Amino acid sequence: MNIDQVLLITALAAYITGTIVFIGYFLSRNPVMRTIGIPLAAIGCVAQFGELGARWIISGIWPLTNLYGSLSLFSAMGVLIFIAFALKYNLWFTGGFVLLIAAIALGYATTWNEGYMPAVPALQSYWIKVHVPLVISSYASFMVAFVVGALYLVKYSFEKYFGRKQTVAAAMTSAGAVNVPVSEYNADVGISDVRVTGLRNDTPNIAAAAARGDFWGMWLETLPSLAKLDILAYRIIAVGLPLLTIGIITGAWWAKEAWGAYWQWDPKETAALLSWIVYASYMHLHTRNVWRGYRCAWINVIGFATIIFCYLGVNIWISGLHSYKV
Amino acid sequence: MATHAAAPARSLYDEFLALFSNVLFAVSLFAVWGVLTLIGVVVDQGKDAAAYWNEYPAPVARLILRLHLDNIYHSPAYVGIIGLILVSLAVCTFKRVIPARLPPLRTVKIDAIPLNASIDVHGEEGAVRARIADFFASRGWQVRKREFGGEEWMFADRHNWARRGVLVAHIGFVIIAMGTTIYWWKGFQGTTAILTGQTITVPETGARIRLERFGYRFDPVQTKSGLVYQPIDYVSNVTVTGKDGVARQATIRVNDPLDVDGTLYYQATYGYGISFSLTKDGVPVPNAPNGPLKEGAGFQVADTPRAIQYTRFIGTIDRATGQPGADPRPNNPAVVLSAFDGDQPLGDILVPLGKSIDLGGGYKLTPAHYTLYSGLQYRYDPGVPLVGIGAFVLLSGLCIAFYLLPARLYVRITGTGRDWHVGLAATTVKGYDIFEEQFHDLVTALVSGPLGECRLHTNAEGPDSAGAPRSGGRAGWAGAP
Ligand code: HEM
Repeated sequence: MNIDQVLLITALAAYITGTIVFIGYFLSRNPVMRTIGIPLAAIGCVAQFGELGARWIISGIWPLTNLYGSLSLFSAMGVLIFIAFALKYNLWFTGGFVLLIAAIALGYATTWNEGYMPAVPALQSYWIKVHVPLVISSYASFMVAFVVGALYLVKYSFEKYFGRKQTVAAAMTSAGAVNVPVSEYNADVGISDVRVTGLRNDTPNIAAAAARGDFWGMWLETLPSLAKLDILAYRIIAVGLPLLTIGIITGAWWAKEAWGAYWQWDPKETAALLSWIVYASYMHLHTRNVWRGYRCAWINVIGFATIIFCYLGVNIWISGLHSYKV
Repeated sequence: MATHAAAPARSLYDEFLALFSNVLFAVSLFAVWGVLTLIGVVVDQGKDAAAYWNEYPAPVARLILRLHLDNIYHSPAYVGIIGLILVSLAVCTFKRVIPARLPPLRTVKIDAIPLNASIDVHGEEGAVRARIADFFASRGWQVRKREFGGEEWMFADRHNWARRGVLVAHIGFVIIAMGTTIYWWKGFQGTTAILTGQTITVPETGARIRLERFGYRFDPVQTKSGLVYQPIDYVSNVTVTGKDGVARQATIRVNDPLDVDGTLYYQATYGYGISFSLTKDGVPVPNAPNGPLKEGAGFQVADTPRAIQYTRFIGTIDRATGQPGADPRPNNPAVVLSAFDGDQPLGDILVPLGKSIDLGGGYKLTPAHYTLYSGLQYRYDPGVPLVGIGAFVLLSGLCIAFYLLPARLYVRITGTGRDWHVGLAATTVKGYDIFEEQFHDLVTALVSGPLGECRLHTNAEGPDSAGAPRSGGRAGWAGAP
């Protein structure tokens, strides 16, 4: 077995075990599980970068010229971005889902592994070393943001569900969304009515369910507040969008060198533009109070759907200049 | 009379301004732009009408062709929506983004602002004020003081200039749009296919290009799903004569275009030109066809209703099976010819090079030999530098807008003698949630640092044990869970 195969299996094993451990942490909040999960994520990530490096050294061929290489990088970058955000913003509760997606992406990637293939002429450019990692990193950021957004929607739906199921008069008096007067500052940038939630407990129904010992209520209660989840997703998208923007720009630059025009309306670049439009809309809507939170979480989910479409859908079903399936 | 007439016009104008400066309207335009783009990705672009009829059910094909979805990016709807976005952007820039100023220095109700803290301090008034001011100043906040009704307020602003990030991002987008417009206005592009040994003149520039040689390299690679001939290199050796009239040797490769007087020439495709010989009753028919044909080209068989199209070149015919092999390089090559009677297709036939086929009526056709040709794309685009600058500006704007958060702190200090109450509140351009943690950290640092030394009141809980005031103080929290 080659060293790259050993590393690949190590990464897959680490992600699968890590997924189980982190899901356990997610449900139990037992810090020991987190302590085990973090090195697993790190081992998987390092093994993956090692694997890509090993392929490069063994074959002398840049490993990101096919769907196998690019999906591997997507998975590794997703985990790396997850670890970075988790260290800064305590995002470990998303670990199970991020590692699950990383494991699926990597497992699926292996089905596209054709062995060492030299690059076709269009891909023989230093731009591939800049453009592809940037674009893949942006996809990976959006993946992590998607997990946070999806958790937002889960928590939000449960809050509504518990609200329908029970009267929570007691909880409502002590916590809940707060209506505050318009701040001076916000008034000047055009926001006329501020309804700020999240600075206190913004899911009173979940809190009440947790107090009653409801299983789902208890673990949802340990998730960050809705407002915090919203801000986390915003922060990750604020990393992903500039990455996607530079990714598109470097892609355009490369296209100008390889094909003659920086923009050819090739399905791949156009699909990336579609994702860019969705995330740019997200950013604009996030400046509006009524859109922040629930509605933005949906746009986050739609945004990631366009990423999947752009990444896999276009590569696999719609051929164009960018298709790796040459 | 005149006033009556003027009023509705004015309000219509106001309505236009209100609509086009509305962010939700802009996002709706984005949504339409997104949907049109999605259609463009899903529906193949720029094909012949017949291709749509073949590929889609008739009603869908009709819809595609009627609504010009086959060339959507250049359709009036697509260009129009981008135009509307630009108009909205311009209106918004002047109505909202530029006028957004720093809020005036005014008193606020501190505890009505969700992000607030109140700290009781014991010490000399001057020292307390100075320490707070120094603390914020040392952390990069711009501190200003104002008196209102005999009471001194302190205001601290941070990254105020960064509100211009939005403006910068928007300007970046406009510059990109200008760059692309310049191409439409002054640029051009085209394609040309040059046979080895042939010289062509580019109509737009007058440049002359002669193809000396076209070369390619395919490497056989063993993959898991079989032997694949992977293309490695395509290269055209040319002699070009530009405006100066001097002939130069040059090479054009994929990813390595040639610049002739500002117009760039790219290696786009290649192919095999086939020289045919047509005979009637053994006698050559002159000029039928005239010169080598490129893939896709055809000719009429002299005075008959028959037409022959050269459809495809096959590099290798497997000698054992007589079927096309995987190797694209010419090694026992053949061509696929399609025959027509009038408009009626009669079928395809595989003809090895050098072999003849009988066309009936005494006619015989032989694909005699091939000549490589190189397909070049050329493009002159004076808008490129502007697009590049716009992209850079857009990106800078995004980074400023996303990573620097303009915020203001309001500080009110009340009390008498040596007992002072510090009320602190924060507002930002992006709401409160986003600043909650930083506000927390800021107050923690304040109470554990400079104010800690002012000897705070006893029996208080800080935000957390690590950041608790050293001598104990009373720091009331709002906003913390
Ligand atoms: C398509 C190109 C556009 C780009 C790249 C762009 C980019 C941005 C960015 C990065 C922000 C900052 C968002 C944040 O900090 O979270 C922003 C805010 C904003 N954009 Fe755009 N924008 C575009 C089009 C438009 C259009 C057409 C309008 C017209 C109404 C508009 C109106 C605004 C406004 C008003 C804000 C500030 C919102 C606020 O802070 O209240 N933008 N834009």
